[in-house]
Amino acid sequence: MSSELHVDQLRKVFTTGKPPVEKAAVDNVTFTIAAGEIVVLLGPSGCGKTTTLRCVAGLEHPTSGQIRIGGTMYTDPQAGVLVPPRNRNLGMVFQSYAVWPHMTVRQNVAYPLKARGTPKAELEKAVMQALDLVELASYADRPVTQLSGGQMQRVALARSMVYQPQILLLDEPLSNLDAQLRLRLRDDLRQIIKRVGLTALYVTHDQTEAVVLGDRIGVMRDGKLLQLDTPREIYNHPADLFVAGFTGASNVIEGRLVSNDGAFGTVAVGDNQRLTARLAAGVKVDAAVKIALRADNVLMAPVTEGPNRFRATIDAQHYQGTQTVYQLGLLGARIEAMEVGSSARFEQGATIEVGLPPEICWAYPG
Amino acid sequence: MNAQASSHAIGAMKTTARQERAWMPWTWSGMLLIVLAFLVLYPTAMLLIGALTTTNPVVEGYKLSDLSIGNFLTVAANQNVAYALMNSMIACGGGTVVALVIGLSFAWVVVRTNTPCKGLIASAGMLPLFVPPLVAGVAWAILGSPKTGLINLVLAKLGIDFRFDLYSMSGMIFVFGIYYAPYVYMFTAAALRNMDPSLEEAAEISGASAARTMATVTFPLILPAIISSMLLSFVVMLGIYGIPAVLGAPANIPVLTTYIFALTAWSPPLYNTAAAVAVILMMVTGLMVYAQQKVLTGRSFTTVAGKAFRPRSLNLGPWRFLTLGLAIVYLLVVVVLPSIALIIAAFRKFLFIRDIPAIFDMKQYGWQHFIKMFDNPLTVQSMINSMKVGLITAVVGGILSFAIGYTITRSQAPARRTIDMITTIPVAIPGLVIGVAYLWAWIGLPGGLYGTFWILALAFVARFLPDTVKALSTSLMQIHRELEEAAWICGRSLFGTITSVVLPLARPGVVAAMTLLFILSIRELGSSLFLYSSGTMVMAVQLLGYYEGGNIGITAAFSLVQMVLLAVLISFTNYLSRGAAQGSVGRSG
Repeated sequence: MSSELHVDQLRKVFTTGKPPVEKAAVDNVTFTIAAGEIVVLLGPSGCGKTTTLRCVAGLEHPTSGQIRIGGTMYTDPQAGVLVPPRNRNLGMVFQSYAVWPHMTVRQNVAYPLKARGTPKAELEKAVMQALDLVELASYADRPVTQLSGGQMQRVALARSMVYQPQILLLDEPLSNLDAQLRLRLRDDLRQIIKRVGLTALYVTHDQTEAVVLGDRIGVMRDGKLLQLDTPREIYNHPADLFVAGFTGASNVIEGRLVSNDGAFGTVAVGDNQRLTARLAAGVKVDAAVKIALRADNVLMAPVTEGPNRFRATIDAQHYQGTQTVYQLGLLGARIEAMEVGSSARFEQGATIEVGLPPEICWAYPG
Repeated sequence: MNAQASSHAIGAMKTTARQERAWMPWTWSGMLLIVLAFLVLYPTAMLLIGALTTTNPVVEGYKLSDLSIGNFLTVAANQNVAYALMNSMIACGGGTVVALVIGLSFAWVVVRTNTPCKGLIASAGMLPLFVPPLVAGVAWAILGSPKTGLINLVLAKLGIDFRFDLYSMSGMIFVFGIYYAPYVYMFTAAALRNMDPSLEEAAEISGASAARTMATVTFPLILPAIISSMLLSFVVMLGIYGIPAVLGAPANIPVLTTYIFALTAWSPPLYNTAAAVAVILMMVTGLMVYAQQKVLTGRSFTTVAGKAFRPRSLNLGPWRFLTLGLAIVYLLVVVVLPSIALIIAAFRKFLFIRDIPAIFDMKQYGWQHFIKMFDNPLTVQSMINSMKVGLITAVVGGILSFAIGYTITRSQAPARRTIDMITTIPVAIPGLVIGVAYLWAWIGLPGGLYGTFWILALAFVARFLPDTVKALSTSLMQIHRELEEAAWICGRSLFGTITSVVLPLARPGVVAAMTLLFILSIRELGSSLFLYSSGTMVMAVQLLGYYEGGNIGITAAFSLVQMVLLAVLISFTNYLSRGAAQGSVGRSG
């Protein structure tokens, strides 16, 4: 049942404020989700990810662009095509759950089938199947108001899948839950969606959620889709400084590109030291570059071989129990490095050898 | 008050060295209970006794010897009582339905559509709440009396045979309905506004049509608000005297309120029968209030919402001008027409209007009614009296409400629940019934309160106690407990904490509550009717006197004077409390 989703040149312009200013909430976003694939749109609030999702749902009307699902055109404002949400056969899970408080669990889940005029026997079977899937079968006749947040969200999930929609849309479904529950439901969610084989578009601002849930992640900022790739690619080859920073590469070393050797290059940093870094598109020799570096990628002593070995001073030690974060004085910059494990090996004031393999030093145009 | 006030802190600080003074919280609670018993319980008890006896309290004093449920049943079985009760039910029931239709459509138009100027429509639509019912009645009598009503005169000039007759049951239903529609509007608009829009979006995504979404999701979710607002407006209408007195009396349609007053105006006054009918009115009201509380607490439809949301707004396209038009018609009927009627009647020498151009004949207009009105020393005297009563009510009620509010919300004093409960009792007692109860409580006691300003003021304090205590409790609860605790830690006594921290922070709320009490008491008619004497005539009663004296010009002029006075006071209160007043002014009718 699940279908492919094509979003093509999607653009949504809002006019706000006095005097009215036009602002593109979604700016020429294009992507495709294969049938059965889970794509997560990730970005800070206001980046346009929810607006994109609501355009797919038909709840929001884009200014221009096209949305096709399973080969059928659903949204094409230029051609006057705008299929209302009820005719799109999509499932949606809302941030606020949006389970109807005046109905029982069963009534909530049966609602979409009733709206479709499904015969009673078939309806009851489908409802119980959906409730089984989310492990709420024994709660079927409870009023939803008596459920916990996590259970309500599972009701919402069952309701959105019970009619086998073409695509499942999830709008920050876990952000109202407490931390522990969020972790558990996060893993369940992927399993359930995969078991049913649904195509899913998932929106979140939480990187770990995106990594765990998504087959591919699309990072958005200011209405633009910056990079759409597998989690591995996003975390190891971020397309630009923002994607690198947003996914956790919080260290930035400024320098100047001395030579370009193809994929890698030499960068002059700090007190005339040289560092080999992987070059992103657009960096030029003799121009300023910024090198992004993940704290957890810094190799700490003993480092005996490979390029990019430097001496660093430990300026501060922040012991966090299961890991330790060090503040390093390195290459004339302050660099954070992380050591996993409950024993902190280095004390403040020590000088140690660190290694920054070129593969993890990403140079972007400064 | 000082010593007692500091005493219930000890209730909160059980482990302090001053534990031996544990009797002090009890003294404080006991004092509040005595005051409440005096204000609320004693008059109510006397009313019940009055309903169960046949002795006249003025002539024979109070006797408990002939107490019998039989006396009450005799009255209850009386045909006239049944007739008045039936009329009350029809008038208030019909009025409630009209109010529901208008209020709900208004709420939908304002919250859910893109009708132009809806902010303006919303605020103008609330204006009827501020109009005293008697003034509303007078205005509509001027507009719609069958022979001389302005609307009927215009219809006659236009050659249309149809005549409106507001002196009728349907007239009462109509005026009730349009003036109490704002209640339904307030409740349902709030419910619609606070509803998470994704609840409806989820229905749409699920495949439901717009109509199905409305019927299965939107409507059931605001149903508690609808029922509760209907019950509330029904209760308020049930206690109104002014509108049925003006519109029902000429057509000989007694309702419970007008019937009770007629009984005490009889010669000799039938105080026992009045008390018995008042008890019936109180029972009906109590039942409705109970039902309303049930509806409100029984089903809690609050749902979790992660982000602030904007209510969904339906694009009506060209139809939005139709909704705008309907809203304008409503405002025209409810605000503009009555105002014009009052102004014409107040400034015109004679209300008879020969033809339509004559309406604009300026020679016909002048200040003569105002001059005549102020020539009557009773007019000014009644205004001064109202101010006096209002002032006493505001001060006494303000202090008492603060003491009760603080005790209920902040202290650990014993019997807090009981105090809270007694405080809420007057919600279920219409003003007019409180008037009868106070009459029964004090008329037979020589040298007592009867005939003084105090009996009016105390009755008003009791009547408005639930509203003011609730308003003050809300503003007290907004003061974070830690602010007080910080002052204690700094070494202040409880009384010092209250005066140096709580009162300054709660001051806007206290001032607003006092101003509100002042406004409510100068417009109160129902309870004043039974409690004024020749020396304590108040404005609202004086206005009724002018109306019943048959002088429409002076009645209209005095109505305008009172409206202007109220408008000034209400804008002042609104300025102090940003709109908190409007709900409460409305609630008390």
